[in-house]
Amino acid sequence: MSAVAPCKLKASDYKSGTKPVWCPGCGDYHVLASVTKAIATLQLAPENIAVISGIGCSSRLPAYLNSYGFHGIHGRALPLATGLKVARPDLTVICAGGDGDGFSIGGNHLLHACRRNIDITYIVMDNEIYGMTKGQPSPTTAPDWDTDLAPGGTGVSPFHPLVIALASGANFVARAFSGDVKGTTKTLAEAISHPGFSFVQILSPCVTFRPDQREWKTKVHPPPVEFTTNAAQAARRVMTDDGFNIGVLYKGSRGKYRQSVEHDVTVERDLDREFLI
Amino acid sequence: MSKSADILAQRFTLPELLLHALVIELEAVQSYKDLAEQMRECGNQDVAELFEKMSVLEAEHAAKIRQQAKGVELPELSPWEFRWSGLEPPENIDLAGVHYLMTPHQALDLALENEMSAMAFFDAVAHDTADDKVRSIAKEFADDERQHVAWMNDWLAKYPPPADDWDYDPDPPAAID
Repeated sequence: MSAVAPCKLKASDYKSGTKPVWCPGCGDYHVLASVTKAIATLQLAPENIAVISGIGCSSRLPAYLNSYGFHGIHGRALPLATGLKVARPDLTVICAGGDGDGFSIGGNHLLHACRRNIDITYIVMDNEIYGMTKGQPSPTTAPDWDTDLAPGGTGVSPFHPLVIALASGANFVARAFSGDVKGTTKTLAEAISHPGFSFVQILSPCVTFRPDQREWKTKVHPPPVEFTTNAAQAARRVMTDDGFNIGVLYKGSRGKYRQSVEHDVTVERDLDREFLI
Repeated sequence: MSKSADILAQRFTLPELLLHALVIELEAVQSYKDLAEQMRECGNQDVAELFEKMSVLEAEHAAKIRQQAKGVELPELSPWEFRWSGLEPPENIDLAGVHYLMTPHQALDLALENEMSAMAFFDAVAHDTADDKVRSIAKEFADDERQHVAWMNDWLAKYPPPADDWDYDPDPPAAID
């Protein structure tokens, strides 16, 4: 984790002042509140935090935070975050995006980020839809979700992000619900503090294109058991739950990624010379 | 999410009660302010003004509690250590009830629900405590909320309930059936 801020910062100190343009009622407002509360709890210095995102409604998050940020290209938030963390291991790097960005366009990057176990926290605000582009089915959309854009539903089984993350080697896996700010804050604080790659799927309703998701608040519930340190057991649990268990599912102890080659200034100078015109 | 029925079972100390009360009001101020901005962005001026009024009302209440808490050393709690009876502080607007075309009546309905939750919260604290001072302050806070409930009901009477087609948008954001 990064350096501790010299004076006590409040959650509001981590907001940039730029007003979010999400739809009224969007779950992402609550995610923003949870992120600021989590980093305030950890008292991270804003200048030591970098929030990296891809494209989509939820990927607007860095603009609303008083920290360094990079609004990247579609599906490429994790490669950007990986590069940054490797170059600046002293920073707290938080990666954020949605289910389309993270599981479809950026799906392959998710596998390898988990595998590498770089010390990043990846927050996916999952609303089971491409909201920014007006409501196309995403990798987590139910197969029978019937709309004008997917008449009769896609008929394709949804992606199971938590299982994929576990199978790929993520070191911390959790599910949260945006409307549970208190619980999400705690989960995020734990995820950021946990070494290695932490993956947090936040169920975040899209009230505009999926008004049915307003009901999520009545469906979510705490898990019946505590987290496990056994990835196979965690995978079995999450494969058989109803999709609405929230809380930490898995905490691993795998060593986080470390560069095997010492930082060598002469290599950098050689590279600089290569690019000289 | 299922609420824990005994979340208030652990009795509140006076500093804890004051801190919870203050956070309820401060979060409500921010929550109403945010909603006012969102509604203004969507061109829903009437509801934006209403949420702004609510924000001012809650700020006044926060100032009063701050005054009462003067000289009391408030505890430092992590966000997840607060003992709410639901997922959020009782006066935070439930985002699931917000819609960009909502009417003032619907907005007031949400606000009324919040005031009633806050009243129930303080009533429960007053009921459960064995400390006379905590009971007296909790009762006072509950009565403040009761007054707000009465105001909300008065305001509600001034605004007509929404028409059946209140959410009709001739240019809807989604191609949903």
